[in-house]
This record gives sequence, C-alpha cells and structure tokens, in this order.
Amino acid sequence: MADQGAADPGNNNNNKPEASEGTIIKVTVKTPKDKEEIAIAEDASVTQFKEEISQRFKAKQDQLVLIFAGKILKDGDSLSQHGIKDGLTVHLVIKTTHKTGDASSTSASSSTSTQAGSTSPSSPGSNPSSTTGSTSAAPPPTQTPNLLSGFGDLAGLAGMGMGSNNFMELQQQMQRQLMSNPEMLSQIMENPLVQNMMSNPDLMRQMIMANPQMQQLMERNPEISHMLNNPELMRQTMELARNPAMMQEMMRNQDRALSNLESIPGGYNALRRMYTDIQEPMFSAAREQFGNNPFSALGGNSESGAQPSRTENREPLPNPWGPQNSSNASESTGGTTGSTTTTTGTTPSVSNPLGINPGSLGNGMFNSPGMQSLMQQISENPQLMQNMLSAPYMRSMMQSLSQNPELASQVLMNNPLFAGNPQLQDQFRSQLPVFLQQMQNPEALSVMTNPRAMQALMQIQQGLQTLQTEAPGLMPSLMPGGTPGIPTGVSMPAGVSMPAENPASSPSSGVTNPAQQQLMQQMLQMFAGGSAPTQTPEVRFQSQLDQLNAMGFINREANLQALIATGGDINAAIERLLGSQPS
Amino acid sequence: MNKDVVRYNVQLYIYDLSRGMARSLSPIMLGKQLDGIWHTAIVAYGDEFFYGGEGISSCPPGGTMLGPPDTVVELGETEVSEDIFMEYLSSLGESTYRGDMYRLFEHNCNTFTNEVAQFLTGSPIPSYITDLPSEVLSTPFGQILRPILDSIHIAPPGGNVINGGRNV
Repeated sequence: MADQGAADPGNNNNNKPEASEGTIIKVTVKTPKDKEEIAIAEDASVTQFKEEISQRFKAKQDQLVLIFAGKILKDGDSLSQHGIKDGLTVHLVIKTTHKTGDASSTSASSSTSTQAGSTSPSSPGSNPSSTTGSTSAAPPPTQTPNLLSGFGDLAGLAGMGMGSNNFMELQQQMQRQLMSNPEMLSQIMENPLVQNMMSNPDLMRQMIMANPQMQQLMERNPEISHMLNNPELMRQTMELARNPAMMQEMMRNQDRALSNLESIPGGYNALRRMYTDIQEPMFSAAREQFGNNPFSALGGNSESGAQPSRTENREPLPNPWGPQNSSNASESTGGTTGSTTTTTGTTPSVSNPLGINPGSLGNGMFNSPGMQSLMQQISENPQLMQNMLSAPYMRSMMQSLSQNPELASQVLMNNPLFAGNPQLQDQFRSQLPVFLQQMQNPEALSVMTNPRAMQALMQIQQGLQTLQTEAPGLMPSLMPGGTPGIPTGVSMPAGVSMPAENPASSPSSGVTNPAQQQLMQQMLQMFAGGSAPTQTPEVRFQSQLDQLNAMGFINREANLQALIATGGDINAAIERLLGSQPS
Repeated sequence: MNKDVVRYNVQLYIYDLSRGMARSLSPIMLGKQLDGIWHTAIVAYGDEFFYGGEGISSCPPGGTMLGPPDTVVELGETEVSEDIFMEYLSSLGESTYRGDMYRLFEHNCNTFTNEVAQFLTGSPIPSYITDLPSEVLSTPFGQILRPILDSIHIAPPGGNVINGGRNV
C-alpha cells in the first residue's frame, strides 16, 4: 500500500487498487466536452475505474460508457486486458436519460438513417423513426423539426403553424414523400427555395394573415382569403417555388393570359385596378412582414428588401424571379404572384449549396445560397439558362439594371467574388456600363448559354494569363476583362460553378499582385463551390430513371428531360411525361 | 475477446475538394506538391458523418454534393453501438463541434473525423490529411491567403445537421 501512495502523488481520492503489485497509471478520460486525468492501478478492473470516473465526472456509474480502441469496456474486464496503459486515452460517453433534448437533436439524424434504409435502432428513446410515417396529430410537431432542424431554427416557427388539419396533412404528405426517397430529398434540400417553402404553407398563411394590412385587404377582397385557404393552390405554389422551370412556365402562361386580358375592352383597367388594389398592398405588407421576422434573420443576411414603399421597387431581391415581379410582370394575378413573391422575398436560410459562407457579406442578396444554387442549376442546365435569359422579364431586369447603374453596381458588389477586394470593385465599377450593355446584347446572351463557347472563352483567358506570367512586359495594361464585359459577367453568375476542369479561369487578369489575389479568390470559390457535380444528370437521376422505367415509361430520353426539368422530382416528372401541364 | 459482440464497420471517406486541381496547381501556387484538398467524413452505421460550417451533419454515404468519395479507407471495427455514438456526436455537436467553431485551418472536418475515428476505433486517420493545413500554411502563399481562407466554411450540402443549434 505504501508503494502506491508514494508512487502516485496525484492520488487524492479513495483509490482502491486491487493487488498491491500494480503501479498506478495515469489514464486520460475524454468526454466530448472535456477530459480528465484519472490515476488508477494498472490491473484495476473496469468497475473500479468507473467508480473513479463517476466521482470525478459527477455521473452515475451505470451512465458511463467507456470506449477504448473501438471496444466498449465492460465491468467485468480489467484495464490491462484492454491494453490500457499509462498515458493513453479512454473515451467516455455519459448516457443521458432525458429524452426530450435528444429527440429533436437526434431525430434529424435518425430520420436520415431511416431514409438510408438502414433499420438501426434509433437513439435514446422517443419515436423519431415512427414520426416519419405517422399521421397522427401529435408527432408532426416533432416531425417538422426533423427536417426543419436541418434548415436551422425554422423549427421554432413550426409550432406556430400547426393550424388547420388541411395543412398538416399536406405537410405530412410531402414529408412522407420526401422521406421515402432519399435521393430526392437530398436534391430538394439543395434548393433553398424549397427549404423555405417547406416551412409549411400554413405557417406562411398565418404570417400573412397576421399582418394588419393584409387583414384589411382580405376584408375588402374576400377572394384573397379564399386563395390562402385553398390547400391546392398553396401546394401548387410550393411546387412552383421548388421547381424553377415550372415556375417560369407558369409565369409565362400568366403573362400571356394577362396580355390577352389587356386587349379586352376595359380589360386593362381591370388589370390596373387589380394590381393597385391587391398586389401592391400585398407586396408591401409581405415585404414589411418579412423584413421584421425571424425568417430573414435566420439567413444571416440582413433583409435588404424591407421597404414598405408602394412604388415599384428596384432593389435587388434575393431571387432573380423577384425583380421581375416588381419591375415588369406586375400585372400578373395578385394572388399567386403575391404568394410567390412572399416566398422569394424571404432570404433562404440554410445549407449553403455551394459550401461557401464567406462570413457576412452585408446585403448578401446576390450571394445568398439561393442565388448560388440558382447559378449552379443554370450551369448544369444550359437550357434553363437560355429560358431564363430569353424570358421577357429578364430582359426588362437587364434594362432596368443598365438604366440604373447604382443598382447594378450594388448587386454586383455583393457578389462574393468581389467582396473584400476594393481594387477589383473599382475596376469593375468602371467597366459596368460596358458590361451591362453587353449583357443586353443578344449575342452575348447566346454566348453565355453555350457551354462550349464559355469554355473557349475560358481558354482564351487562360492563355492570356499564361502569356502574362511568361512575358509580363508584353501585356502591361491588360485590363480586367481583356475580353471585356462578357467573361467578367460570366464569372459572376457562372464562374462559381463552371465545370471545374478549367483551372486558371480568372477573368480579371489585372497586373501582378492584384491579379494574383483575384485569381486566388476565384479559384477558392471554385474549390469550395466549383466542385459542383460533374456527374451528368443521367447519373444523378439514375434511380429515378429506374423507377420511371419500372413504372412503364420507357422513353429514356423523355424521362431524363422530365427529370431534369423537375429537378429529380418523380411525381412532377410523371406529370410532365403524361402531357398534363404541371400547373 | 468474446466473438458475439456486435461489431460495426467504420470507414473513412476522403474527398478531394479541388477535384484534382490541387495536384496540378499546387507546385505552381504553393511551391510544394499537394495531392488534394482533403475533406473527410466518417461512414458508420450506414450513414456518413462530417463536420462543416453548419456543425455536424449526416447523410447517406456519398450523399453530399461532392458525390462519391475519391478514396475509402477502412478504419476498422468498433463495438460502439449507434445510440452511444449518436449521444457522443450530440455532445460533440454542442461543445467543440458546433457550427460556429469551424475553422478552416485548425478545427475543420478532418479534425472532427480524426477525433471520431479515434473514438470509434482507436486509430487516427492518415496523417497526410491532418497535416494539410500546416503544409499549406508553411508556404508564403498560404500565409498570404490565410485571411481569405479563414473565412471560408466548407459545408458540402446534402446533409442533415445533427444538432438543432446552428450558427446564425
């Protein structure tokens, strides 16, 4: 006994070493939160070790789980049996018995594991796995946190939304659908628009209704409240939000319908009236609302659109379809567009699809994850880009941008590419008018939609770059955008997600150091974000294709197109294939 | 040891975030050869776990936007059951591996993977991965880039964040 006492000065507990020949060893016990050094006899048993630990960590012995080298230490074992020697580290997990805290935190992961098909027992108690399929009223409130916790703090708002049964069912249906198809879920989650919408329509409705202006509006125009109460319509809107291609179609349809309306005598006035009566107040109400509410705060970006003014707003909204609402197609039906705008007016909050979160970049509208995912989608689907650019509203947005250089510069400055680099910003600002003009040039547009042309441009840039490094004296004043406008413009929307095969694609080939910096930024953007899927859509949609095949849709080409257009959503793809309008 | 203990396989998924660019460009840019910018994740119990700017996330294996991994390393087997592991992860996610604790150089996905690997199997992950930050920082270029890089949080999308708290 005396030996041990002398050998271990640090021992001030009732350490009861078993046999007297064992020397005391110091073992580090590490929990996720902290670590302690415990002195114990070399040949002590695990039980004794746990006694020590329970004293030190203030936990009950049966709550302790000790792990060493991947093995769980059982009470009957001895330390030496596991090879635990002096100076080694043993891991400790203290089992907590409370279920509520863990339920919401682990339910997200257990729902993932349920998706993945594995039937591994879910974590401490509760019923996370059962909530995925349940239809009863009680679990859905925890169900929403499952997905919403992945979307960050929207979970808190989930409680608000549990209103009428209609919406709960709707939501559950959606969630169940998503749960059953993990592939689809992960793809959908990539799109922050969806994430917003997924915080159920009821919630939106609640929020919309809570605004006194809206209430007034609803009193005056009962059609609006009908619209909000109609789950069908809400679901449609959600589908729209989720599927940009579909949304465009819808918009175009509406535009067409409305322009027809115009030609009816008295129609134009009716439209105007509709707009002023309904849409404007709705817009401004919604905007106010979203300016002040937790949603936008969650995005980490301060909502810049919180302008309660009633004039047409040219401020950049977080979504390219936003500006079109305010600057052009404003005569579209107040209802649907209203709700669409409200969705687009919110800052998408969550998983940054391109994996970049360059700190806080101020009015991060343009660099918001939504924008970036948009860009990524664009680059993947040149057709989409084509559509987008040729859409009439895009034109008008370009026009308004070019007419209002301040606006444009603001928008562009927010791009992460230029953040923190005032030199580049200045250069760009001076180039702005030229750039904008070129954006308007239909040729430029067609170039942008042509990936091969893009690559060629990139190669030119690259060549110039190499030339510069090789023979710096030769090109002393290669202004950024030696091929002005276009490539810079390209780098802005698409550079972030251009196929990463082209390394030195820095568009801004300035001189020496600033150029290096810019190059670096560009490349970093691409490193972190440019690792966009280089898989073809075919590979990505493989499982969906198989499913469609199994269902009897044998036209692979058409299936693929449909899947691409709907972003992997099987049901929507089927609708498309069947020829019905995805309205 | 008793053979009827359930063992779970643990793997390390290694992704090259630069998609090969680092291998070709690093000699030029940094002056030393880096074969990749490694992002790693632990795959166990049928799920992939990784740490990023949002905290600890999980997804089906290979289910992030990065696609399938470039390399898979078998780390061994563990006796730790899934619920104990999830508890462990929750605690980690609330303390040292919250989203806002992410630091590209000192406390990143690979730090996390290393720690989890040791927890589960007792062995660390290959050192060329954990040495990457110091390799980069030891070049003058890395030093210059440091302020920019520090603000980058890598968070490959496609995962669910495990704990409810996230950095806002």
